[in-house]
Amino acid sequence: MSPNRQLAQFFLLAFAGVALLMLALHYAGSALSGTSSDVSAVDEDANSISIIIREEPPQLNSSRATDAISGMVLGHVMEGLVRMGLDDRLEGAVAERWEVTPTQATFWLRENAKWSDGQPVTAADFIFAWQTALKPETGSQYAFLLFAIQNAEAINQGTLPASALGVSAPDPYTLVIDLARPVPFFDKTLVFPTFLPIREDFYNATNGRFGADADQLLYNGPFQISRWVHGSSMTFKRNPYFWNQDEIHLDAIHVPYITSDATASLNFFKDNKIAITGLQAENLSEAMRMGWQIRQHRDGTVFFLEFNHRQGRVTDNVNLRRALQLALDMDEMVYKVTKLPGYEPGVSLFPGWLMGEEKLLRQEYPPQKITPDASLAKQHLQKALQELGLKEPPDLVLLSGDNPISSVQSEWVQQTLKTKLGISVKIDKQIFKQRLAKMTSGDFDLVLAGWGPDYNDPLTFGDLFASWNKNNRGQYNSPELDAFIDIAQSRLEPAVRMKAFGDIQQHLIDQAVVLPMYERGVTYVVDPSIKQLKRRVIGPDPDVSRAYIDTSGE
Amino acid sequence: MSSTNLSPADFQPLPPSEAVQQISRPSLSYWADAWRRLSENPRAMASLGLITFLLAFVSIGPALWQVDPSAQDLDQIGIGPGADRTVTIAAPFVPWSPQQQSVTPADNNLGLRLAMQANTQAVRLAWTATGSTRHRLYRNVFDPETTGSLGLPLVDRDQPWFEDRLDLQPGTYYYTLVPLSADGVENDGAVTLPVDVIRVISIAQAVDRGLIDANDTVQLGQRLKLAWHPLGTDYLGRDMLARLMYGGQVSLFIGIFAPLAFVLLGVIYGSVSGFLGGATDQTMMRFADFVVALPFLLFMILFKVIFGIGPGESGIWPMLVAMIILLWPAPARLVRGQILQIREEGYVSASRLLGGTTAYVVGRHMLPNTMGVILVTITFQVPSAIFTEAFLSFIGMGVAPPTPSWGAMCNEGIKSMLTRPHELMFPAMLISITVLAFNLLGDGLRDALDARMRGAE
Repeated sequence: MSPNRQLAQFFLLAFAGVALLMLALHYAGSALSGTSSDVSAVDEDANSISIIIREEPPQLNSSRATDAISGMVLGHVMEGLVRMGLDDRLEGAVAERWEVTPTQATFWLRENAKWSDGQPVTAADFIFAWQTALKPETGSQYAFLLFAIQNAEAINQGTLPASALGVSAPDPYTLVIDLARPVPFFDKTLVFPTFLPIREDFYNATNGRFGADADQLLYNGPFQISRWVHGSSMTFKRNPYFWNQDEIHLDAIHVPYITSDATASLNFFKDNKIAITGLQAENLSEAMRMGWQIRQHRDGTVFFLEFNHRQGRVTDNVNLRRALQLALDMDEMVYKVTKLPGYEPGVSLFPGWLMGEEKLLRQEYPPQKITPDASLAKQHLQKALQELGLKEPPDLVLLSGDNPISSVQSEWVQQTLKTKLGISVKIDKQIFKQRLAKMTSGDFDLVLAGWGPDYNDPLTFGDLFASWNKNNRGQYNSPELDAFIDIAQSRLEPAVRMKAFGDIQQHLIDQAVVLPMYERGVTYVVDPSIKQLKRRVIGPDPDVSRAYIDTSGE
Repeated sequence: MSSTNLSPADFQPLPPSEAVQQISRPSLSYWADAWRRLSENPRAMASLGLITFLLAFVSIGPALWQVDPSAQDLDQIGIGPGADRTVTIAAPFVPWSPQQQSVTPADNNLGLRLAMQANTQAVRLAWTATGSTRHRLYRNVFDPETTGSLGLPLVDRDQPWFEDRLDLQPGTYYYTLVPLSADGVENDGAVTLPVDVIRVISIAQAVDRGLIDANDTVQLGQRLKLAWHPLGTDYLGRDMLARLMYGGQVSLFIGIFAPLAFVLLGVIYGSVSGFLGGATDQTMMRFADFVVALPFLLFMILFKVIFGIGPGESGIWPMLVAMIILLWPAPARLVRGQILQIREEGYVSASRLLGGTTAYVVGRHMLPNTMGVILVTITFQVPSAIFTEAFLSFIGMGVAPPTPSWGAMCNEGIKSMLTRPHELMFPAMLISITVLAFNLLGDGLRDALDARMRGAE
């Protein structure tokens, strides 16, 4: 045999060996983990679909959950007193009907609402959940949502025991809430996960591990978590005890992958592994070439450039802020840099979808449009330098997220301020938690931040820069603004409240307290056989709990 | 067999002559010999040429191509090399809000038409409100007839007009208008309108970008050429050629200096350890093991803190220091192994027997014999250092934006690999070429410098 043939034979053997080994490992791997890699996007026989989530839900203990992913998972497996319907209107969930007066809110619960172990959901479960959320040792960041209830604030500060909460149950299926102050939109706030019920005996039996695993949760929603491989995959299956079986069509929802990698997600969709994926600007022409039905959804979140208003920071100077306001052309950023459809250049802290008294709030109180003007911006900068006693434009630190979109935007801000105003910007890229920590401690000049609505009322944005709001990271403090916010919070007449929101909007623009950058849109594709997949602004997003499979249209 | 007649004269010593003294070949020093063999290796010489070219590219290049690598040309975002640069002068953009329809409706059933000439500032569409008042507008870069998809949903609109400004590039777009029912379901009767978009610029913008002089008289409709980007631009419209030049400075600096420094450190450490042997060797090598166990990233962060480098500032120096301090044990071990082996060779004993000092033995016999190993190590460390820099820049520990580096450019380019391949291809090609050139050169150098192959043809 010639050496060449020998060599060729050796390579062939080696190649075959490696191939065999990989095949064996693949089967061993899938047999061991039993993952859902064999689950397809839409399985008509099993009546199941597959979706993807960005990251592991950080917190499924509803009294402590704050983020959108936990909210989305909880929205599929739990049900509160009320929920947002497919038509974006509030509808009864565990509550059959309800009544809100300035002093009291009463909810009559349906008797056929059950937990996943067959026991009924009662008013006591809600009272326990809310008391738990308010206890200082729980450390719930969203406890303030409950402050409308009598004594809630005092309980959260530890001055009153949890039992003093102004909530009572005359009978197991009636819940009476005493309000601390009139809240015209109280029922709308109840869609937030903090208001979900928790059953006391189960909660205590978990020994502090409530919500940490699939079997450490008791479900009362349309689905229940049947498998949860942390960081890797989840499976939801239909909850047989759910009261409203007619509305639920799917038998299972698979989450075969948990990743925030947009390219990976797109490839899974292409390979028919998942039924829905988001699209980035880079993938749009690819999606068009594939002939996919692209959809768009504005998720209600507003992104803005927030200033640090703490004393001693240069950004405390209104003329400097005004200079930045006039230099940054948000139209240019949205249309040329971000390039995603559905993104709307920011003009106001209040997003366009918020309802005013009768029409949209922004139609009733149109925000003053700032026309970018580089020379006017320079004048303001000169004035600011005089007031600050500086000779050179100061260096600014821009705190930004570590995702691709924030990176591009912060580089655009950096270069625009450099060329138009001669201000050098240093970009401080941080992961979400670290960014939040730095925002709270005030370690920034500018920060790219966003705010999503917690409930469907302009106040969810309006009180953001109140001096007492913990989410006012730049610690803006203005008695004038506080007065407007106080009116919006405490008055009941819609006309007066909307006028106050108009005043808040004008104040924020006049003082350049914050520079709205854009309202976010989501561009995505869905498998065309899935119907009633709901994207929404408030509540779980995306919501597939009411979805069904219909292949007849293809 | 012939008989030999020898005379006594034959046994006289030869008179001293020139011919004896003459050396047939020039005497070759070690380095001259190495150079001779290297220059006979075409691959190595080609690599040497390439490396010289790359060094010139990053050092002299920026002086010849004077473009700011962080200037953003937002008119030409993500264009490939050789893209069309024609631009037409147009009136400056003003937002459009038609009070009444002055344009005659088109004869399609929704009356969808272009209200003004479409350009890259805006595409202004108007339609006639018939039946349903709400419409959804789609935009596609492909003909919906052929792909079966309407494309990108731009807006759900109540008013019978829309101004599209989203990322308009010169070319043809297909706009499709679909009537919506009251509950947002798409009805039949969609109308598609192909629109040709031309690239425009206002006079003020043209002056701003330096295309024309402020005193020049230009008319609307006049054609100009936009700034030239020979290798295209990236996702923010920054010139690729300039970024590659400046990015190479960082990448090559780290890629060449870090390995040179820590390999040198490793060679000294390893040869001392190997030469001395015994307990000293044991101690020194255990210390090297200790250094190997130190986590690179952690030290990198520590050095960043020690150097007082805040967020958004370049971390190149701490990176260099961390690499030098932490990466020397690998070459040290290799050299020590070689030295241990060579120490026992016969020629070393002979050299010592003849009175060679330690320095002479190490310098003359040991190091030249380990040169092959050392050079191979360096050439392998160059790419790995370039990649380390790329990785660290990616996680925000390396260069700070807007400073480019080849690695950081790759990481940015990979996001748009399918649509704009040039953003990834150019930096990746340069990294590959650099790595290949260093590898081939190292190969050639090893052959050339290997003392055992000395004098071989």
